[in-house]
Amino acid sequence: MSILQRFQNIDRRWIYLVVALCIIVPLLIPFNSKTYVTDPSSNLYQKIDSFAGKEDKAVLLSFSHDASTMAELFPMEVSILRHCFERNIKVFTICFSPPSAPLMAYALNVAKEDYPNLQSGVDYCNFGYKPYGLFLPIVLGMGDDVAEAVQTDADGRKIKNLEIMNGIRNYDDLNLIIDFAASSAVFSWITYARVRFGANVAAGVTAVMAADNYPYLQSGQLVGMLSGLKGAAEYEKLVDVFAAYEDAEYPNGREYSPEVIKDTWVPIMSKKVSYESSDGIVETDVELPYKFKQARIGMNAQSIAHIMIILFIILGNIGYFMTRNKPDETI
Amino acid sequence: MLEFISNLIAALLTLFIFSFLYKDNPFYRFAEHLLVGVSMGYAIPLVYINAFIPFVYRPIFLEGNFWLIIPSCIGILYIFRFTKNLSWLSRYPIAFGMGIVGMGVPMSMHSSVLVQMRNAMRPVDSINSLLIFIGTVTILLYFYFSKPHKGLYGKFTNVGIWFMMVGFGASFGYTVMARISLLIGRIQFLLGDFLGFIK
Repeated sequence: MSILQRFQNIDRRWIYLVVALCIIVPLLIPFNSKTYVTDPSSNLYQKIDSFAGKEDKAVLLSFSHDASTMAELFPMEVSILRHCFERNIKVFTICFSPPSAPLMAYALNVAKEDYPNLQSGVDYCNFGYKPYGLFLPIVLGMGDDVAEAVQTDADGRKIKNLEIMNGIRNYDDLNLIIDFAASSAVFSWITYARVRFGANVAAGVTAVMAADNYPYLQSGQLVGMLSGLKGAAEYEKLVDVFAAYEDAEYPNGREYSPEVIKDTWVPIMSKKVSYESSDGIVETDVELPYKFKQARIGMNAQSIAHIMIILFIILGNIGYFMTRNKPDETI
Repeated sequence: MLEFISNLIAALLTLFIFSFLYKDNPFYRFAEHLLVGVSMGYAIPLVYINAFIPFVYRPIFLEGNFWLIIPSCIGILYIFRFTKNLSWLSRYPIAFGMGIVGMGVPMSMHSSVLVQMRNAMRPVDSINSLLIFIGTVTILLYFYFSKPHKGLYGKFTNVGIWFMMVGFGASFGYTVMARISLLIGRIQFLLGDFLGFIK
């Protein structure tokens, strides 16, 4: 049997081993890599950032996934929460499926660890788990009155009595809904919140669902979209470069600029945030913990795995075309 | 200590699931069944606390809103789905559900058909819009089955097939990316949270 025929009949477990090594090695020996930001991610960033410091604008994060897709969605949830906390943007969270409830609380806890002054009910509010049977009454009800539709938060407090509700009444104020989903849940928000009330809807979806959502992105029904781990890595970089930026000129972050994001990259191996651009290197004292660069480190492994898969596809095709006219000696 | 124990359990269950890559085994089946059991065990009390207590028990028994007994009884009819003779009763709550779905039809038509059509009808002023125009027209021609796909018409429909293949390829590429991402997430957990090799 020739080498090519041996490759054609290789035990699949060897492939699994190679895939595992391609992922384990880059995670154990991480390296700096560049992350290029795409328009759907930067559009979402700009939309959220336009709410910075505004009393009458807020973002609603809807969690529609379970732990199985946490690897892709959790880093983007933490990044968006970090963006909101850095830029003093009111943020609400809600979920309609039981498995999402602990993930939602976990994402909030991880993101707010670095912001000790944040107060629940003042800076952010977790609406908590609401039974799916109430999805329509709540989504449609929020078009008139958020406090009336949701009633209580995760701690059982009356929403209308919370300080965060000052200036927030309906979708005119709760003007951006971001659904983190591993399913077509985003479509429900588009159908009911956008079509009926004109609310802005964005999506943070698993890569599997990204292709399904592109038509809505292209038709302008989604203001932005984060697709899988790549989308999360892009958002991590956006937050590092703008929202978390700190120097004498910009003590509380800086405005988005397409030129800056194109030219600047953040070395992920560094423990502190630093920026490298054509103007040189800017080093800061801002901590860059693992949780804020998890997706970018993951993308290193992802890139290696993709190269490996492409090589396997090429090798498989070479083997196929070279052996297809030869008699099979294994028979 | 508590975190270590929870991480240990999660790591063991992850390895049990990964063991299926070698071959089917009792450890894998144990973890699989445990997942189903834990999911249900977690969901039932959560729904009881967040749905039954605030929307059935409290309004009816504590606040005296007795009219809520009617929708509650209609909801209970779902249980008859499990009986042979009375399963027809479960169709009544299903009918209410279907009515609500019907409410979404006009809005779904708007977002999935009308807005998409409006965007497909924009002037062809760039390469992207030209590609969308050709793709939309040729794929629609492909799904017109009242005319044989032969001659010039067949050539147009072949272009539609090519566009669909590109679409399927993009979807498949995204799926591969997603599956690798999930593996990365688990390995990040094993190497980082559990073994402490990544900080």
